[in-house]
Amino acid sequence: MSLSDLPDLAALDKDGALEEAHAGLTRAGFIVGSAIGGLALWLPSSASAAKIPASDQDVLNYALVLEYLQAAFYTESERAGALKGKAKKAATTVGAVERAHVKAFRDLLGKKAVGKPQFDFQGVTEDQKKFLKTAVAFEDLAVAAYKGQARRLKSKAVLTSALGIHTVEARHAAWMRYLNGNVPATAAFDRPLTRPAINKIVASTNFIVQKKPKTSSRRKPRYTG
Amino acid sequence: MSHEFVENQAVSRRRVIRRAAVAAGGALAAATAVGAADRLHAQPSNEKDAKALNLLLLIDRAEVAFYTAALENAGLSGELEEFAQTALGHEREHVSYLEGALGSAAEDEPEYDFGESTSDVDAFARSAAKLEDIAVGAYNGQATNVSPGAFLAAARIVSVEARHAAWIRSIRDGDPAPNAVDTAYDEARVRRELRELGVPA
Repeated sequence: MSLSDLPDLAALDKDGALEEAHAGLTRAGFIVGSAIGGLALWLPSSASAAKIPASDQDVLNYALVLEYLQAAFYTESERAGALKGKAKKAATTVGAVERAHVKAFRDLLGKKAVGKPQFDFQGVTEDQKKFLKTAVAFEDLAVAAYKGQARRLKSKAVLTSALGIHTVEARHAAWMRYLNGNVPATAAFDRPLTRPAINKIVASTNFIVQKKPKTSSRRKPRYTG
Repeated sequence: MSHEFVENQAVSRRRVIRRAAVAAGGALAAATAVGAADRLHAQPSNEKDAKALNLLLLIDRAEVAFYTAALENAGLSGELEEFAQTALGHEREHVSYLEGALGSAAEDEPEYDFGESTSDVDAFARSAAKLEDIAVGAYNGQATNVSPGAFLAAARIVSVEARHAAWIRSIRDGDPAPNAVDTAYDEARVRRELRELGVPA
């Protein structure tokens, strides 16, 4: 199977990400067959979202908002240029993964995917200490959120994927904790958090802005993820 | 430094991004292919629970034995000692939970042969990372086989195993989270990888 065998790829691949990914994989010396197989599965369609139970779509959209938040945070931190050494490397790697999560959820949900909120990270992306502290909070929050939502998922395949992301968030949490000088694993059992609890914590940060920031803001306009 | 860590560090940013994107997309989009036939079992049986929990018990007991032996014989100090002590405490609690949940259905504990992994610092760090990865893969793999109560406990344990896996790699300057999605291991893979570490499985 080659790329040209895929149905109307260019029409679906508006931002060129699939083509670019394919080129990158080939250059990196991956086994082309399996790479294409992965991409074929990855193709978004409204039919695929329709096969997922509505309640699962709801959970995935909830997770998508948290992934938007994380992806924007790492992307902005990378661009702000205040990170050095291991923190910089971690932000780059983790940011790429969170962006991949966003893309995967959006592709899976198709037209049902919620839009990206606007963010204002209140300057925490411009200072390494604040960055690490916030990263620890975000990653621990994501672990607790996935854990809280997992039991609501009805589709076995969606659940398996969500669990696989849940443990990646836990790895990120431990990594950021290590870099921030915190113990990476503080208890034998991690606690789940409910949606209201998560929402309350996210709201308290004021990172999600509902309206476009006024241009008269005293700060320069920021990258909003 | 092990080959694994060296290799992980050599992975370029670009390749990490590609690999992450494809892994996440592939795993999630695979979900779309199954559709309505793919609902979780409404009523997992006690027998199914026992089979799954015994597999997890095998791993957590092996972790307890591994960290105990390493703390006695590997000359661990500093961060490595702190990690081993902390992980050991957590794994003991996991074993207690699993033994309690299984009751008389708990299988006997095997004898281990960890080789130099519990007497050499570098070998210890490599095996610890591998053992914790096996635990993550096994818990993720068995999560869909157990009843709701056991599922919740497993979900609370698996992220701690993932934290351990990332912690030991952080100490050794490895890549703590090399993939965008952690793979769920089936039973055969869990047993094969455990055997490679000296755990009769």
